Amino acid sequence: MARHRPRSGRSQPSPRRVKAALCVTCLIDQFFPHVGEAAVKVLRRLDVDVSFPEQQTCCGQIAFNGGYRAEATAVARRFLDIFAGDDYVVVPSGSCASMIKVFYAELFQGDEATLERVRQLVARTYEFTEFLTEVLEVDDVGAKFSGSVTYHDGCHALRELRIKQGPRALVAAVEGAELREMEASEACCGFGGLFSVKFPEVSGAILDEKLRHVEATGARAVVTTDCGCVMHMAGAMRRRALDTRALHIAELLAGEGG
Amino acid sequence: MAAKAAAFKRSSAVAVRNPKLQQTLHHVVRHFTEARDAAVASEFPPETWEQMRERASSIKLQTLLNLDFYLDMVDRNVRRNGGHVHFAADAAEANRIVLDIAKRNAVKRVIKSKSMVSEEMRLNPTLEAEGIVPVETDLGEYIIQLAKETPFHIIAPAMHKTRQDVSRLFQDWLRSAPTDDIKTLCAIARNALRQQFATADMGVSGANFVVAETGTVVLVTNEGNGRMTTSVPRVHVALAGMERVIPAIEDVALFLRLLPRSATGQRITSYNSFISGPRRASDEDGPEEFHLVLVDNGRLNLLKDERLREALKCIRCGACLNVCPVYQKTGGHAYGWVYPGPIGAIVTPAMNGFARGADLPFASTLCGACKDVCPVKIDIPKLLLDLRPEAARRTGTWAERLLMRRWVDMMRARESLERSSRLARLMQRPLSREGVIRRSRLPLLAAWTQARDFPAVAEKSFARRWRDGLSRAEP
Amino acid sequence: MTTQPEASPAKEAFLQRIRQALGRAEPATSPPDHPPLKTNLVRQEEKLRTIRAKVEARRERNAERLAENATKVGWHVHRVETHDEAAAAVAAIAAGLHARNVVRTAEDCFRQADYDGPLRRARAAPIILASGRNRSRDSLKATAFDADLGVTGVSWAIAETASCVIVPRRGVARLASLAPPVYVAIVGIEQILETLDDYFATVRLEHMKGRGHVAAYANFISGPSRTADIEQTLTVGVHGPGVVHMLIVGRE
Ligand code: SF4
Repeated sequence: MARHRPRSGRSQPSPRRVKAALCVTCLIDQFFPHVGEAAVKVLRRLDVDVSFPEQQTCCGQIAFNGGYRAEATAVARRFLDIFAGDDYVVVPSGSCASMIKVFYAELFQGDEATLERVRQLVARTYEFTEFLTEVLEVDDVGAKFSGSVTYHDGCHALRELRIKQGPRALVAAVEGAELREMEASEACCGFGGLFSVKFPEVSGAILDEKLRHVEATGARAVVTTDCGCVMHMAGAMRRRALDTRALHIAELLAGEGG
Repeated sequence: MAAKAAAFKRSSAVAVRNPKLQQTLHHVVRHFTEARDAAVASEFPPETWEQMRERASSIKLQTLLNLDFYLDMVDRNVRRNGGHVHFAADAAEANRIVLDIAKRNAVKRVIKSKSMVSEEMRLNPTLEAEGIVPVETDLGEYIIQLAKETPFHIIAPAMHKTRQDVSRLFQDWLRSAPTDDIKTLCAIARNALRQQFATADMGVSGANFVVAETGTVVLVTNEGNGRMTTSVPRVHVALAGMERVIPAIEDVALFLRLLPRSATGQRITSYNSFISGPRRASDEDGPEEFHLVLVDNGRLNLLKDERLREALKCIRCGACLNVCPVYQKTGGHAYGWVYPGPIGAIVTPAMNGFARGADLPFASTLCGACKDVCPVKIDIPKLLLDLRPEAARRTGTWAERLLMRRWVDMMRARESLERSSRLARLMQRPLSREGVIRRSRLPLLAAWTQARDFPAVAEKSFARRWRDGLSRAEP
Repeated sequence: MTTQPEASPAKEAFLQRIRQALGRAEPATSPPDHPPLKTNLVRQEEKLRTIRAKVEARRERNAERLAENATKVGWHVHRVETHDEAAAAVAAIAAGLHARNVVRTAEDCFRQADYDGPLRRARAAPIILASGRNRSRDSLKATAFDADLGVTGVSWAIAETASCVIVPRRGVARLASLAPPVYVAIVGIEQILETLDDYFATVRLEHMKGRGHVAAYANFISGPSRTADIEQTLTVGVHGPGVVHMLIVGRE
């Protein structure tokens, strides 16, 4: 089942290296830069020519979800300019990737010229794990970890992008990692962006249930595709001084043991 | 009014702190979702189920796009069957129509089988004010009528009541002996309601579907109260939202396959009644008068919007409630009106011109579980997003607006983002310890830190790290 | 039929608002394209011939499927060869209940055998539930509500959903299958349809042949009256019969 690549991707140089522009997301840029570094490390390990358009800021999702369409449009337009070109766009977030791949078309409804640019962008945009399993066609990225891991399906990755098996295959192929499924892995963690601050009580109650399921697996870490979920879960885990960690999947895949 | 328009925040917070409610919700919701999943998966390959949803969705949408045509067809065929058809623009008009019928027939007691439209209309208080006694006969509805509450769930209106609650209600209202046995409680209700069936002069029902081709009202029930309501009294009034129409009698098969499976996980409910007018002269029994009241009551607001109109495809199965992480924690009452859950978060503000439930479009994590189970493929998250600009105008706090304005300025250029993050790093210094902020009184941050630590802005952003050397591939 | 009720004066304005909402000023001139509304009588008859042929060829299979599905949803299923056996089975059920008052309808199946004799011998009084000259609406109601057992034939049965289709008419009161706590449906094997689609195609043909006239009422009974409204606990017999028997008469 697992599709193996040589441990060192460079030992078999492909005629043309795959080029990918990293959309690092505002959350990773400002709060979780190590996740971005991890993503770069994994991509480079697989011989991808990674670039980082330095003018990037945000995809506009926060404003879009908040009902601030004009604000979202301004930021999304900027995004289209910055990620113009032919390179793949790799996004280590199911949510931001969905914003681009699914919701830009909503945002620019009726604006045919922009929609054409959106389509062009969508065709080469991939969520990080999707890029690994669908474009590079690898499961084993040469990572090591010791201990058990459970996977939380980020809602947008799962239901907007239909990403389900890919990340699991990636986790399962990590040397030393044991994938333990939790009950209701597809259930939302309760983050929901603005939702988490608009209705903190409900958000917290949903999170409690998610954490109960995570803990029941006894896994060392819960991994997922989105730093939003990580921030949410890790924030509560820290508050309660739990032993379990919440990691972005790129962190796990960049790991070299420990 | 403003309080009513943005009430979810408060009511939901109260609900999550109610341990008894949490326990019931957990239990019931799981029961429903498991039953639904089993009923769908055990009988159809996923592609078949998908095709069925697709077809139902398209039939419903096409019907809505030609609603004037099909309502005319309903009208002509119901009248051909000998029934009366009424058109009510709003709740007040619908109430007037029902009252007129009741008065003309000197009705003293009305038995009702479940009708969400009658909840919209607040028909019961209207009848009571005129000295007419309405009696709900669906067991769940009966229980909440005695408790003077509103339905908690589209399918299970009294799911939040325990057997002890029900026993107490029956002791108070029916002078029955206390009991913990559910069977006994059902028997008490059966006997009490038998009297009502036997003596009521008018029956009021809802309508799950109205078939245009034959002028037939379809009722989907399990208890048999729907049959009683539509068979025993002399007059039967069916209340239907104007979007309940389906075109052809042969379309019914598809919808009867989708509805019960999605609602309760049943292959079919115990009873399906097909009502085409009053009893015929040669029939042995049945009502002598039949009235169909087609109700708008704000549905036009949805119909006229090219996108929101999709929400009128809803067949009220309740599946989206059960899978919704928010509903699972808050239950139905927090939504403040007749329709709870994800679909309620759309139709409540939309039908009421945002006078109710203005904050409901935000009462969702947009996780999308609802759209995956919806038997008529309503893209609920998308519609919630569509409603959010208006919801933000009505309910957004000053802090939120200010933040959004700042946010767009900030995200317009890399330089301004970096300026802001420099400032944030400075400001967070007194707040953060070991890379997290544990408490803050700043708006939004205060909400976040109620139960979670918030990560501090990183000392070096990713972009900075890239410039500082990450851009060069390692050897 | 008596005179047809008038159209409501509010109708036109109501429909006009809908048209406006849909961005149309005029009523549609041609009907929307919906295939199930388009078939003509010839094609519908053709469709029914196919259905009948299918149903005939698979009688025993459908009877088995009906029995299996019915058992799953709470019917007590009895398979018998003849109506005499069915009559005996009904009497046995009545005897088991110590039933005194048994209401029944007057379908064709009751002419296939003597159902009343065995009932009387079981000390039950069979009453045909019918209004008309000597029974008022109220007394029909009272009789039905008093009965211990209700017995009816069916118009059709549907194997897919374990449904008995009751179409009330002269001789077939609605309350016979609803008011008593125990109910028996007598299903002839030739009345079994395979799917819901078969049934609705049949109704449509009748509707077309009757030039738009349909029965005032039809009912699917697909198991006992049930509720789960208290603590999601399934309880039977809340308003309708809590115990339901299905007698499938005939074997191929
Ligand atoms: S929106 Fe869909 S899932 Fe929700 S109640 Fe309506 S039909 Fe059912």
